[in-house]
Amino acid sequence: MSVTVRHLREQFDDAVQQREASTLGMWAFLTTEILFFGVLFAGYAFCRVMFPEAFAAASRHTDMLLGTLETAALLTSSCAAALAVREVQLGGRRAATWLLLATAALGSAFLVMHGFEYVAEYHEGLIPGLRYTQHGPHAASMQLFFCLYYFITGFHGLHVSIGVGLLLAMAWRTHRGAFDQDYHTPLELTALYWHLVDIVWIFVYPLIYLIGRAL
Amino acid sequence: MSARSPTHQTRSHRSGPVPPSLRSNLLVLAALLVLLGLSAGSALIPMGVFNEVANLGIAAMKALLVLVFFMRLKTDSPLLRLVAAAGFAWLALLVALSLADLLSRQNLLPPW
Amino acid sequence: MSTAERIAPSYLEEGFSLRSWLGTRDHKRIAILYALGITFFFFLGGLAAALIRLELVTPAGDVLSAETYNKVFTFHGVVMVWFFLIPSIPATLGNFLLPLMIGARDMAFPRLNLFSWYLYIVGGLFTIACLLLGGVDTGWTFYTPFSTMFSNSNVMLAVVGVFVVGFSSIFTGLNFIVTIHTMRAPGMTWFRLPLFVWSMYAVALVMMLATPVLAMTLALIALERLFGVGIFDPALGGDPLLFQHFFWFYSHPAVYIMVLPAMGVVSELITAGVRRRIFGYKFMVWAIVGIAVVGFLVWGHHMFVSGQSMYAGIIFSILSFIIAVPSAIKVFNWTATLYKGDISFTAPLLYALGFVGLFMLGGLTGLFLAATALDVSLTDTYFVVAHFHYIMVGGSVMAYLGGIHYWWPKITGRLYSEAWARFAAILMFFGFNLTFFPQYVLGWEGMPRRYHEYLPQYQVLNVLSSAGATILAVSYLLPLGYLLWSLRHGARAGANPWNAQGLEWTTPSPPTLHNFEETPQVTGGPYAYEQP
Repeated sequence: MSVTVRHLREQFDDAVQQREASTLGMWAFLTTEILFFGVLFAGYAFCRVMFPEAFAAASRHTDMLLGTLETAALLTSSCAAALAVREVQLGGRRAATWLLLATAALGSAFLVMHGFEYVAEYHEGLIPGLRYTQHGPHAASMQLFFCLYYFITGFHGLHVSIGVGLLLAMAWRTHRGAFDQDYHTPLELTALYWHLVDIVWIFVYPLIYLIGRAL
Repeated sequence: MSARSPTHQTRSHRSGPVPPSLRSNLLVLAALLVLLGLSAGSALIPMGVFNEVANLGIAAMKALLVLVFFMRLKTDSPLLRLVAAAGFAWLALLVALSLADLLSRQNLLPPW
Repeated sequence: MSTAERIAPSYLEEGFSLRSWLGTRDHKRIAILYALGITFFFFLGGLAAALIRLELVTPAGDVLSAETYNKVFTFHGVVMVWFFLIPSIPATLGNFLLPLMIGARDMAFPRLNLFSWYLYIVGGLFTIACLLLGGVDTGWTFYTPFSTMFSNSNVMLAVVGVFVVGFSSIFTGLNFIVTIHTMRAPGMTWFRLPLFVWSMYAVALVMMLATPVLAMTLALIALERLFGVGIFDPALGGDPLLFQHFFWFYSHPAVYIMVLPAMGVVSELITAGVRRRIFGYKFMVWAIVGIAVVGFLVWGHHMFVSGQSMYAGIIFSILSFIIAVPSAIKVFNWTATLYKGDISFTAPLLYALGFVGLFMLGGLTGLFLAATALDVSLTDTYFVVAHFHYIMVGGSVMAYLGGIHYWWPKITGRLYSEAWARFAAILMFFGFNLTFFPQYVLGWEGMPRRYHEYLPQYQVLNVLSSAGATILAVSYLLPLGYLLWSLRHGARAGANPWNAQGLEWTTPSPPTLHNFEETPQVTGGPYAYEQP
């Protein structure tokens, strides 16, 4: 019990209350995150209803293989993060540290793969405002797709980068023994954040990579 | 549902919900990867509008799996389920009402 | 009620250095910090309003050029909406009172609370920088494509300022929600919460569910300006109306961010002023929640004439009528609370009654604007300007000042001059009506808003309005004077000078650092005044 008393902030009565407040706060924050990304998805829905063919044509320029691999990497990393929390709850500090490092590594792999995509798209001339060399009937409205693509993946990539940083910090703290069965709220909250980043990508994947593939 | 009531002690452990089994977490991962494969595969088969239905349906299922198992909404406090649902519900409002405008627009001819 | 003998030093005596204030995590001190910022921005925005009214004394555009006039009303809008009205009651009174009213030692996340204040200040600095570098001329609504492609003013700085202050509002909302859910004292059940706490809960919900949409939309504007392409760009086939959907998805609920807290404050002021239980407590609660939720479904009534489909227009019109129902329930219940009450016309009650009257006028004219057919001719006239000023200035500012007076003894430990306060409250009511009622007539007669000149036939009413604004300015400066005076010369206040109900009055004035000697046990509902 002494461990939890050490972590109890003065405004709370006990550890139960503190944990409830922290998780509720994190979930409330995640709700705002859903709406942050939601604006971009709503814009996507609106523009796609206006220009279905242009969106399908533009989507065929994205790299489906890399997109699928990226999705697999994030899904696996999410499982690793969930297992890390479980390990800490069961007292397995060492395993938890490795699982967190694996999560961060998969997140970094995701970022690297996406970097390759961006480079390829630059050479193909698909970036509106920077280098856009497309011609044809849909060239103008395809830019709407690419604007949304870069806003969504860029904003998501920002979240992944923050997540990798947090995961590394959590791995360090777990390694140093900051968490145990009784107290591991920061780790739990980081995992929640990471899962949400994963959920966003789960929706990005079909909306960006998979439309207009069947021809 | 009053705060600091004694029932709290029994409802949730102070370190969070009871940890899930390793097996269940790995099964969820397997299901997610299978769904990913289904989603990629189905996208290559021409099904018309059902491509879209399949894509979004599978994405929703994957998201639910993550929410329920990895994020432990299944075992954690019911309030958190409500909070999570609120975000998606409000997003649905934004999309539905703005699309309602777009889809019901008509070009009104000038009266002359 | 001398239950509160002073043992520990008050929160004001916990430290006197600048650092003890700028690094504080005490919700009461953070409330004071907010109050300072908000007062500054209120008078800054008021200065812009004064310039507008000065220009409109004569039909010719002689004081300000058209361009400068655009910048002045934009600055007035941006500052008043995001730096005064939205944080006003929640961030000051809400921060101060929420933990006191539910029997908690502090907010759930004190450091986040302080961080919100810093975000508010940083956002404010961006906005002031925008002003100093030449201002912005898009109107507070930043409509595309003007804001993205054509405006040569400092749109970026303004947008960044509002973006940053949006996060302040999100984090405040988050803190409120978690605090109300998890920090209530034993026995403080949901239906024993004072209505002010309920209004803070509702407003926090709106802040959290609406503000992200605004922030992201502003980010899209910034990116579109930066790269020259974006999804609102008509040249690519993008739809500027999409921007309006996003913007009003936030900005209509934002009106409820401004008025819901005012409703909470007024419920407290009226019950204490007439020493009666609130009439229909549960109806009041559900009306608050109803307004917060239905408030999200009406945004399209800002777009009746901007090219939205007429079917969507009809739906939004019906939904807008529906939201009048909970608002009407609230006015009815406040009035019913007065019935057979032990009414003493103290300054807070005068402010509260002023609120009810002005809110009703503003609300009823809202029904005019919700009707699609009438709205076509009233859109962008002074009728709209008068309508929303009745709600925001007549409603929210009256309630804010009423609340400041009512809780002033608790916040500062001093009593203000009641005679001056009553005078200011009455003056404000008259000054306000003289300023804005003529604008209803002007709008009805067809005077458009946002021009620095107008047809000579409108001059009489415009002069009346400007004269009213002068009176209004005096009535705003008066409290600043006598309230500050009371800090040094006012009589010391006891724990409960109004003899009012509520946990905040069981603590000493001003309260100690952790509010309560020991966690209070709540055994009954709020407003337990003796009934006749």
